[in-house]
Amino acid sequence: LCGAKLSNCGNDFQWCFSQVKGAIDEDVAEADIISTVEFNYSGELLATGDKGGRVVIFQHEQESKNRPHLRGEYNVYSTFQSHEPEFDYLKSLEIEEKINKIRWLPQQNAAHFLLSTNDKTIKLWKISERDKRAEGYNLKDEDGRLRDPFRITSLRVPVLMPMDLMVEASPRRIFANAHTYHINSISVNSDHETYLSADDLRINLWHLEITDRSFNIVDIKPANMEELTEVITAAECHPHQCNVFVYSSSKGTIRLCDMRAAALCDRHSKFFEEPEDPSSRSFFSEIISSISDVKFSHSGRYMMTRDYLSVKVWDLNMENRPVETYQVHEYLRSKLCSLYENDCIFDKFECCWNGSDSAIMTGSYNNFFRMFDRNTRRDITLEASRESSKPRATLKPRKVSTGGKRKKDEISVDSLDFNKKILHTAWHPKENVIAVAATNNLYIFQDKIN
Amino acid sequence: MILKGQKRKLPSEDVEVPDQSSPLWESQRQFVFSVSLNKYQRSQELPEPSLRRSVLIANTLRQISLEACRSPPLDQQASEPSCSSTLSPQNNAANRSCCSGEPSVPMTEDEDWGLMATDSDFSLSAAISSILTALDSTVDGSPQAAPRTPLRSLENLSGPSEGGVAMEAGRTSYMDDVTMEDLFQDIDSSQLEKDMGVLGLRSGAGGCSAGNDVIRYLPPLTPPSSHPFSFSAEPLQHCSCTAAAVPQVLVFLTRCYPGTFEPRG
Repeated sequence: LCGAKLSNCGNDFQWCFSQVKGAIDEDVAEADIISTVEFNYSGELLATGDKGGRVVIFQHEQESKNRPHLRGEYNVYSTFQSHEPEFDYLKSLEIEEKINKIRWLPQQNAAHFLLSTNDKTIKLWKISERDKRAEGYNLKDEDGRLRDPFRITSLRVPVLMPMDLMVEASPRRIFANAHTYHINSISVNSDHETYLSADDLRINLWHLEITDRSFNIVDIKPANMEELTEVITAAECHPHQCNVFVYSSSKGTIRLCDMRAAALCDRHSKFFEEPEDPSSRSFFSEIISSISDVKFSHSGRYMMTRDYLSVKVWDLNMENRPVETYQVHEYLRSKLCSLYENDCIFDKFECCWNGSDSAIMTGSYNNFFRMFDRNTRRDITLEASRESSKPRATLKPRKVSTGGKRKKDEISVDSLDFNKKILHTAWHPKENVIAVAATNNLYIFQDKIN
Repeated sequence: MILKGQKRKLPSEDVEVPDQSSPLWESQRQFVFSVSLNKYQRSQELPEPSLRRSVLIANTLRQISLEACRSPPLDQQASEPSCSSTLSPQNNAANRSCCSGEPSVPMTEDEDWGLMATDSDFSLSAAISSILTALDSTVDGSPQAAPRTPLRSLENLSGPSEGGVAMEAGRTSYMDDVTMEDLFQDIDSSQLEKDMGVLGLRSGAGGCSAGNDVIRYLPPLTPPSSHPFSFSAEPLQHCSCTAAAVPQVLVFLTRCYPGTFEPRG
């Protein structure tokens, strides 16, 4: 039960500030706005993409001997420009360089691989370390100048000498020209050979080695575009079954498809939709039912969807309703009209599972983010702010007051800053470390209990 | 709420009023409709509106017009006739856009479409109809062609500068699948033929020989935001014809320069 200490209420975690990355300026450059956050499979690396097309990878340093109770910090490991703005001459359109998604590949050798995508093009990047260089070449001297061949009187074997660690990122594959509409998702398959990419109307299946073609596996574009009423909003491969994937729609439905059933997966194997509650119907019912993110649990038994006001957990064996529903910011339901007017209602929030699938996390406004413990059903609201950014300071739970009386430390709905939105969050796959993107800043929080 | 931009007073925020006969609901409906229209029009001014956002706004507009059709004093018992059954002729276009694409919308209330023809509702529906038509031709002007063949991979274009269109194997241009009739459904062909005769292009073939004389009569380019078709050819900017003539222009331009233009997708 919620005991005496407010900080212990909510769940069993005790979240503390660890680090914040990014500029402190009030004036945020558009290019610095973080657009995606993703841990790799081991949690050792944390990648962010931004609107300027850059990828920054942080690496978890080993714990210091001085403070063994505290996990190590994440420091910059590599920074590179993944995508540049392009111009589509045929349509007279500029293609944004904003990184929509980053997905890591499972590590198979010393190098790390990730997929990054903007609206139109997916790239496979190799990130490798170099900490040795060869010295003692025969044909060139140490500056790299060619030696006069007539001066060479003996042969020697070059020797590998240590050098300062250099991390290089190089594009290994570029998967382009397969999407007419904007790519919203990429997902690596469990076979580690293929991946899918989804745009508003189509989903393509790629082989990681082959860039000049892909298979179209879902196409919901109607013959007559006047009949278009639904778009694809997210897609993901099943974590274990390489033939299964799901995609969500703007009408609040999720379709699970089996690639063994047909080459074209226009017919779903399962169709997940919760019947609408007629008492809460409004003009905005459809818009707020639009699913902005779908994520399988690590176990592969469940999937989670995020719509505008809630997060739902679905059992893959039950299609007619979710098994759990968590309200993220129900106090916004009476404000939908204003949120429609200022376009906030179209914001696409992501959601994520913790490593053991016992907790889920998603973002909200005012730099708040929410966590739900599935076992205890407790929830907590925390804030990513510079004010609470003292080293190892425990985060204080936040509360939004909905009634007339506002208690001390509560914030009223009308005081919320809707420009401070937390759309992207990530949870370390093995430990209780979370990364929260607040506009141009990346906050890293850790659980104190070790 | 702390929002950038001006504050404004809104009608009561409670949008969950299920009672559709109240004036409050009606004012909310009109407010949402006008906001939606504004939103849609402004997004169309952008070079590339978000498809998801456009679809959601269009669906909201459709829903509002449906709600308008159901406004009292209709009989509220559920007898659910289908949309198309009792259409009155002058509302055909409006109803088509109201109802198209949503055959599965549960209609629990009686919809006597014949009662819909009040002046304000008709103009509302006509407005939505024209918006949705423009929306659809903007997001993708080319209708779906032949069905896809299974297990055919999509051949990519050779370079990024050629645009982002995924194509079926074996086809060199998606324009091959689209007929002129599909692209220009609104065109008044009698007008077209008259013009073609005037400009000496009636025979269709050899239109290129018309040369500079033809170009002099062509209308100026419309800006990309307001018309689905756009391309940049400088000689076209010297004349001043009406925008309605543009589709006709594009027809015989494709005959002169086949394969050089395409609808926005």
